[in-house]
Amino acid sequence: MKFFSYLKRGKNSLRSNKQAAQLLQDKISKDLNYNLTIIEKLFTKTPDLIIRRFYLNQTGQPAALVYIEGLTDKLAINEHILYPLMHEDNFGKNTGEPAAAIGRTKKAVLWNDIVNYLLMGYSVLLIDGRESAVLYDTQGWPQRAIEEPQTESTIKGAHQGFIETSKQNIALIRRYIPNRELKMKEFIVGRRSKTLVTMLYLADVAHPEVLKEMEKRIQRLDVDSIINTGELAEFIEDNSFSIFPQFQISERPDAVASHILQGRCALVVDVSPGVLVGPMTFTSFFQTVDDYSTRWISASFLRSLRFLSLFIALFLPSLYIAQVSFHYELLPLNLIMSVGESRVKVPLPPIVEAFMMEIFLEMLRESGLRLPTPIGQAVGIVGGIVIGQAAVQAGIVSNIMVIVVSLTAIASFIIPSMDMSAAIRLLRFPIMVLSALLGMLGIVLGMMAIIAHIISLESLKTPYGAPFAPLKVSDFRDTIIRFPLWSIDKRPFTARPVQRKKLNWKGKNKKSK
Amino acid sequence: MMKYPGNQITLIQYIFIITGTQVGIGILTLPRLVAEGAGTDGWISILLGWLLAVTASLVIIQVMRKNPTDTLFTILRKYFGRWLGGAVSLAWILYAAFAVLTVIYSFINIINTWLLPETRSYIIMFFFAYPIYLVAAHGIRVVGRYSEFIFFFTFWMPVLLSIPVREGKFVYLLPLLKEGIQPVLMTAKSTILSFLGFELAMIWYPFLRNKKAAAKGIIIANTISLVVFLHVTLVCFVYFSPDEITNYIWPTLNIVKPIQIPFLERFEIMFLSFYLFVISTTVIPYLFTSVYGTSLVFGLKGHQNPLRIFLVVLIILTYFLSVEYKQVEALSQWWGNIGFVYAYIFPVLLLIYSFIFSRLKGRKKL
Repeated sequence: MKFFSYLKRGKNSLRSNKQAAQLLQDKISKDLNYNLTIIEKLFTKTPDLIIRRFYLNQTGQPAALVYIEGLTDKLAINEHILYPLMHEDNFGKNTGEPAAAIGRTKKAVLWNDIVNYLLMGYSVLLIDGRESAVLYDTQGWPQRAIEEPQTESTIKGAHQGFIETSKQNIALIRRYIPNRELKMKEFIVGRRSKTLVTMLYLADVAHPEVLKEMEKRIQRLDVDSIINTGELAEFIEDNSFSIFPQFQISERPDAVASHILQGRCALVVDVSPGVLVGPMTFTSFFQTVDDYSTRWISASFLRSLRFLSLFIALFLPSLYIAQVSFHYELLPLNLIMSVGESRVKVPLPPIVEAFMMEIFLEMLRESGLRLPTPIGQAVGIVGGIVIGQAAVQAGIVSNIMVIVVSLTAIASFIIPSMDMSAAIRLLRFPIMVLSALLGMLGIVLGMMAIIAHIISLESLKTPYGAPFAPLKVSDFRDTIIRFPLWSIDKRPFTARPVQRKKLNWKGKNKKSK
Repeated sequence: MMKYPGNQITLIQYIFIITGTQVGIGILTLPRLVAEGAGTDGWISILLGWLLAVTASLVIIQVMRKNPTDTLFTILRKYFGRWLGGAVSLAWILYAAFAVLTVIYSFINIINTWLLPETRSYIIMFFFAYPIYLVAAHGIRVVGRYSEFIFFFTFWMPVLLSIPVREGKFVYLLPLLKEGIQPVLMTAKSTILSFLGFELAMIWYPFLRNKKAAAKGIIIANTISLVVFLHVTLVCFVYFSPDEITNYIWPTLNIVKPIQIPFLERFEIMFLSFYLFVISTTVIPYLFTSVYGTSLVFGLKGHQNPLRIFLVVLIILTYFLSVEYKQVEALSQWWGNIGFVYAYIFPVLLLIYSFIFSRLKGRKKL
């Protein structure tokens, strides 16, 4: 055992985790050298841990600055901590504290705090003869610049997206809501990852029950790590056996800000660019921020188009199967002739034909997704045109089937939310099976099961099927059709806001005399 | 007072649960049934049937008002004690189960006649069981939401039925009361089956949030059903000649046949498939009543287990027992007769008993 531990943790390491855990509960000692050996013991085999010993310029006491290279801002450490302490005499006149020029400083006594902050990118100043350490916020790690999120691009909206640091993300949201009522609550999730999760909400709008429920669910979590917002969503959602997403995960600060303004609450996860928003409803996955920046008539048209495409993406292949294998009399004669002609050469039953093509399409989509853009496009051309055309000429699938498949694909791409679009693409397979078994009745049975499921689903104890079931007429101003903004004077019921009214409009834009 | 916190239904849901229960299989045969009895004056019988249903509904509300937090099953226990109350409750559970069975068998029969002649009924039942389980398992609130949604979702169906009126002859309706008032009165009896469903208000009442509006709500519910029934019946009467109509078993489905859309030749396939939604709002309330009652009478923790057992039994039953149209008709006739006792006579008796009961109790207190 000891030998393995030696191999894994290094020569000077503590014997076991238990010993380390005990040590972490202790306070630091007055003796600088003792403290540094403990740090060295705790961090064996950690070459990126830097311990800089020096003497304070003013008093001549030995001191040491400890930090992790890479997690910290080198410039800040060198110029604002080390330089003043080593070469200047400004050792706090009134406080007696070492006065480094860093905004956020903390004091720590316990080893546990020191280790945690060290790992978060703080620098630790230890001075001989003092029983407390000073922590400087010198966080600075490699991060990407703010750019437009690829999955949620907009035409007219803001072109900023979240990045992987929660402080920056919160600042991005705050830019939209400079309001004192924007409150935050911080949680540390994950035993090992210690991910900082921040809950944002408007204190005078959000429903306390929703907030309490969210809080309860986060606090209940006892997991090893949270790497991505999607993981968090899966742990805290109401029904994890549902195919539908119950939270929206967005990379757009403007979208998140508008959700918060409606009364929803948002979770910013420190290491992930996705911000989780809840409670959501089924219909809210068919809305985008762009809807509010385009003219309301065209926005309404686009929204109805999305709902239409929902039906096409779900039911078109199954309608084809039902029509071909059960209800050939459903279509008028001329239409049925052209469908029949294209199927004459096809030896496969319609369900096999449809399944083959739909699965092929999913493969095509998935393979294009992971490849660099130029190759991805090439895959699209090879797959779509060459194979589609060739399959028809070879007589494996019918022309109509190719049309049906491409229509469903286009329809499923219209749905703005990736999660929802994935759910719908997957749902059409069981409906295809049903329609192969029972024809039109099977489609209706599938539809009924989907409706029953959506209606019985809840997101943070808020009905997922609203505003349709339960019916909330006032919310229809902003569901399928977006009314002019001045008429949407109330926050949606589905966000369960405490304060419903959001604007006063007295029709002032008319010509005034 | 809050006996069922978080499990309440709104007035709209209450109305649509009742309407949804009423508009079910009855409407498919109603035009023929009233035409057989009273010719083209049959629509007046529907009005009379509505009057009867509203009266019975108001009696029910009167009974329920005395026990605002109790469902039918707890009232029965309160009034008749554990054993007798339990027996009557059991009778109600069986009645609701019988209703479920009748509706499902009728629908499967129609599907086998019109849509899928080869498909075995248990396959349909198997796939139908899943959605109704999803709704019924989540309790009264989801049942309410479902009925509410389906009402609007299927709203186009009766509206669409007015298309054939273009080719109808309104002369068929004249003269009014050509054979006197007697047959019209007698025919009111055959509308009973169609209006059945309001009796379940005895289950919904305690869950209703705004109890003051219960009477208003149940009248609205009955009236919506009446409008649908009258609409369908009148369209049938106008479109078919008075002699022709009695030849069709399901005139309401025959009326869909002439409807044609440029890209849909046989519209009744769509119509009949979507009719499953209408059927589901009849099946689910009865199913829920039956399993919820079971859980109350036998003191079970939730109604999910009886629900599962019931649905499995239904699937097995449809596997072994398939019925002909004659038997389906017999089933619905029985249902009409039994339903008359349960929905019309029982509430009156219960109301009278409740007067006696409160008298007795008052005396005991003195």
